[in-house]
Amino acid sequence: MATTIEDDETPFLSSSSQPMGMFTGDISGTGNQSNKNELSTLNEPVLDTIKRDLGAVLRKFGYAVIPRESSTLLQQWDLWGPLILVTILAILLQSSSTKASSGVEFAQVFTLMLMGSIAVTVNSQLLGGKISFFQSVCVLGYCLLPLLLAAIINNTLLYISSKSAIPVFHIIRFLIVMAAFGWAMYASTRFLGQTQQPSRRLLVLYPIFLFYFLIAWLIILHAHPK
Amino acid sequence: MMFSSDGFLTDQPPSKGPSQTHLFTSFPNSAVDLNDDDDDDDLLLDNKSNITQSYAYKPANEENLSLPLPATNKNNTNNEQLHIWQLEYYQKYFQIDTQQVLERLLGSITPKPNRSYFNSTIRHNPDLYGPFWVCVTFIITVAISGNIVAYFQLPDTDFQIDFSKITLSAILICLYWWSMPTVVYFFFRYYIKCNEYTFLELLCIYGYSLTIFIPVSILWMIPIAWLQWLLTIIASVISGSVLIVAFWPSVDSDRKSFNALSMLVVLFAHLFMAICIMMVFFHVSDNNINSKIETTMLSTMASSTTTTSKV
Repeated sequence: MATTIEDDETPFLSSSSQPMGMFTGDISGTGNQSNKNELSTLNEPVLDTIKRDLGAVLRKFGYAVIPRESSTLLQQWDLWGPLILVTILAILLQSSSTKASSGVEFAQVFTLMLMGSIAVTVNSQLLGGKISFFQSVCVLGYCLLPLLLAAIINNTLLYISSKSAIPVFHIIRFLIVMAAFGWAMYASTRFLGQTQQPSRRLLVLYPIFLFYFLIAWLIILHAHPK
Repeated sequence: MMFSSDGFLTDQPPSKGPSQTHLFTSFPNSAVDLNDDDDDDDLLLDNKSNITQSYAYKPANEENLSLPLPATNKNNTNNEQLHIWQLEYYQKYFQIDTQQVLERLLGSITPKPNRSYFNSTIRHNPDLYGPFWVCVTFIITVAISGNIVAYFQLPDTDFQIDFSKITLSAILICLYWWSMPTVVYFFFRYYIKCNEYTFLELLCIYGYSLTIFIPVSILWMIPIAWLQWLLTIIASVISGSVLIVAFWPSVDSDRKSFNALSMLVVLFAHLFMAICIMMVFFHVSDNNINSKIETTMLSTMASSTTTTSKV
């Protein structure tokens, strides 16, 4: 057992940069690389660090909107994207005129996001999938971008249509939000569906469907403040 | 072929800096590289045959795995005692596949008086996935439909999304889902004095019996009073008969009138729950509907007259 200890450490540390079940190549170089770079980022200019992290966040937005390859979002997860998206969504969904209850509504969107992520993660782990809590928060948050765009369009349409009462706006709003819901669902299916064995995949995807469905209905039912 | 620092497979050795300042690399139970594809079929067979054994890897597959598994792996659970604060303790209640869940859902919508689907499908493998998510879906559809009904009843500027509907429906439905199996369990244990059903099986069957209410709760939005009552009665009769068909074989022995009475109690509890939900969230009396229709007609007429007067 003693001889396997160092075998344990390096593969476990660098296993996170491997996609699921595909390659078993030599990746010890990456582990050492990141250890060396942990020290050197202290000396670089702050602008470099910011640019690099911002680039990573924007790249992940790109992967979430047009789901191409599925390893980066899960392995190099970060929570900046979800934070930005959920904050903007919570601001857009406020509809109360008094300060106290609009604060409550802001908190309700955050709570919904948190509870939804917990439910999806626990469900996936109980069914035998291999995903951690922060990875699922990351994927669910980044894939929220289409719904956020739909919420922006929704608010603009509500503002326009409050001047003139045309009922077709409701139908247009409904269709746009439903299209964004389908898009978000497809994107997160590409990422999270692979962490589970195929006979249970639908069972894992169903809570994600409920989560995005609830957010989509919140956007549709959002009424314009007075 | 090596992996560059931002996760892409490349031929060149990694030369640039990392793609992200902090790479979180210690996942406790996460996307670890395991060759799962060989294990899938073996796990399915394990599930159906042995429910007391938790999620077990066959020892023969260990050579296929390229990494030593982390310490929290299920492999160790055969040796040590599982505690209730570990997630793996609860995995034995989730040994279920998509096909089985769909079968049980279908079985709980279509009650067959001869064959109890309970005996054929649930008995040997009760799960908690189906009942839990059926209840959550029911809560969500009731809350959303209740909000939509309120949206059409109030004028546009007065409507606000009522989050308290979610909490109210959650309390009602979860209370029903847990309290009825408790009552039935104690009834079987201390009154009839035979431990025919475990508590888990009762939870399972009660959870699945709520399936019929999900489409019904969407249909409850239609604001016709007699249709709502009709839907309530039909849905509670269907799901109540599923329950009765499941319980009937064990109660059928001696006291016929008492057994019939207890079955009726189960049915009435179901009906009562359905009526409560319908009244609280959906019921519209005719006054509300007429006033809303009048106000919308007046507003559209007013806007059309103002637009025509401007032109």
